[in-house]
Amino acid sequence: MTSLLDIQNLKLNFKTVQGQVEVLHGIDININAGEKVALVGESGSGKSVTARIILGLLQELRQARISGEVYFDGRDINTMKPKDCAKLRGTAMSMIFQDPTSSLNPVITIGQQFTEVLRRRNNKLAQAICDEQATRMLNDVAIPDAQRVLNAYPFQLSGGMNQRVMIAMALANRPKLLLADEPGTALDVSVQAQTLTLMRELVNDYQTAVLLISHNLGVVREFADRVYVIYQGRIVEDGPTSALFANPKHAYTQALMNAVPRIVGTGLAKVPEVSDAFLAPRITHSDVT
Amino acid sequence: MSLLSLKHVSKTFFTSSGNVAAVSDVSLDVKEGECLAIVGESGSGKTTLANMILGILQSSKGHIHFNNQPLSSKRTAEQRRAIQLVQQNPMSALNPKRSVGASVRLGLDTYQIGQKSERWQLVEDALEAVGLDPNLRKRAPAALSGGQRQRVGIARALACTPRLLVLDEPTSALDVLVQARVLRLLNTLREQHNLTYIFITHDLAVVRNVADRVAVFQSGQLLELATTSDIFSKPQSTYTRQLIGAVPVVDAAELALRNKLAKIAS
Repeated sequence: MTSLLDIQNLKLNFKTVQGQVEVLHGIDININAGEKVALVGESGSGKSVTARIILGLLQELRQARISGEVYFDGRDINTMKPKDCAKLRGTAMSMIFQDPTSSLNPVITIGQQFTEVLRRRNNKLAQAICDEQATRMLNDVAIPDAQRVLNAYPFQLSGGMNQRVMIAMALANRPKLLLADEPGTALDVSVQAQTLTLMRELVNDYQTAVLLISHNLGVVREFADRVYVIYQGRIVEDGPTSALFANPKHAYTQALMNAVPRIVGTGLAKVPEVSDAFLAPRITHSDVT
Repeated sequence: MSLLSLKHVSKTFFTSSGNVAAVSDVSLDVKEGECLAIVGESGSGKTTLANMILGILQSSKGHIHFNNQPLSSKRTAEQRRAIQLVQQNPMSALNPKRSVGASVRLGLDTYQIGQKSERWQLVEDALEAVGLDPNLRKRAPAALSGGQRQRVGIARALACTPRLLVLDEPTSALDVLVQARVLRLLNTLREQHNLTYIFITHDLAVVRNVADRVAVFQSGQLLELATTSDIFSKPQSTYTRQLIGAVPVVDAAELALRNKLAKIAS
């Protein structure tokens, strides 16, 4: 299978008043077409900046120094002109953010926002066709009264509803790659579960590849085919989800797994403070077929 | 012995689109030294209930007794001091313009705890009790990580020597490693200081490992109240089973429990 996204030796430096801060220390990530991959790590580990580099957003930031290759569909995002990169966003790749309510524009209706998204692919699309497509997408994310939602503003909808609208918008142009940054973290556990199930079904139907960014290991286990664990800007362990969860080998991954409270009530694990073992070399689980 | 007792407590909000019963007819006892978890989804009335216990909101109906005394609309300083809150979001819970130490000291000054000359020492003791370096007291909250700030939030509550702590989603904004550390800290503090906790959360995996009893809320009503092991081994209501069934799990033992409950639900 050819890879849709191929990140090689990606490094990121930020220039700050205190000097250079190295955020990513040469990471490699590979996602095949239609594959669901998770990037899991704690705050500040470099998960979200990686997503922003894939979208080509950080490249425009003056303080950011980026090296390495980010091949998307055979083309290197890092060397692409900003204009060409902008064309990919919302069409070939799209993103779902953590907090649905603040990611939607509060002053225009959901319908208008859909039209904006659909016209990124074809700016001559007639309003009637936009509405029809938007209705179909909303039905796909299990929103039955699409007409009411299209005329509503984000604040008139619940958090779960807004999250589904975000998913529908992100998938409206049938992107090849969906970046999902902590989707559902702002939602209740039951709404989150419904949202993830829905998202999984849709990306399977549409054959969209997903990079799920999360610190919730339970969510990752239930959603992804393959997992990358990131710690302090380094990938420390990766492999198929089942293999990695059944037998985490890296000290950091083991610490993460132990720290998750279990519903069977095994008590609270003692979490080691930062240890040198967390910086041990990367471990890759072989693909089990 | 019960430390806090709620009898037929209700809260109705009057809005332009009609009356909203946020909490309806809730009666429960919180025993001294226990950790009672209050779970339910957004809008189930968890936070409204906590606000009534804290005295931020007045109940529309019913009575709340603390330490066998009724909590009236005008509480004594002693009653206010004895019930403290730890908020959800450590990023917004601290005044960004105050140093960490000044935030912790505020409670000491308000309730006149200790001599003026020894209050900075009490602040440092509180920071130390939650595992922070006392020298951090001069720092601004912005210089601290999320986990450190949540510890400051706990130190601030603890400095007032409370008997009851209301913990409103204290770890939902934290990473899993930091969450585990803060939860362990809360467990230790409860034993050391003989505290009683009301732990509000929607994370049932956390509840399973910290709470003694669980109260499940739905649409402002108390649906089910039982010991933690009973709630997880034989939940009575479909809603509780659904809540447990929605928890994302990481290992086979958890999956087995979830599947068992799903089978009962169907």
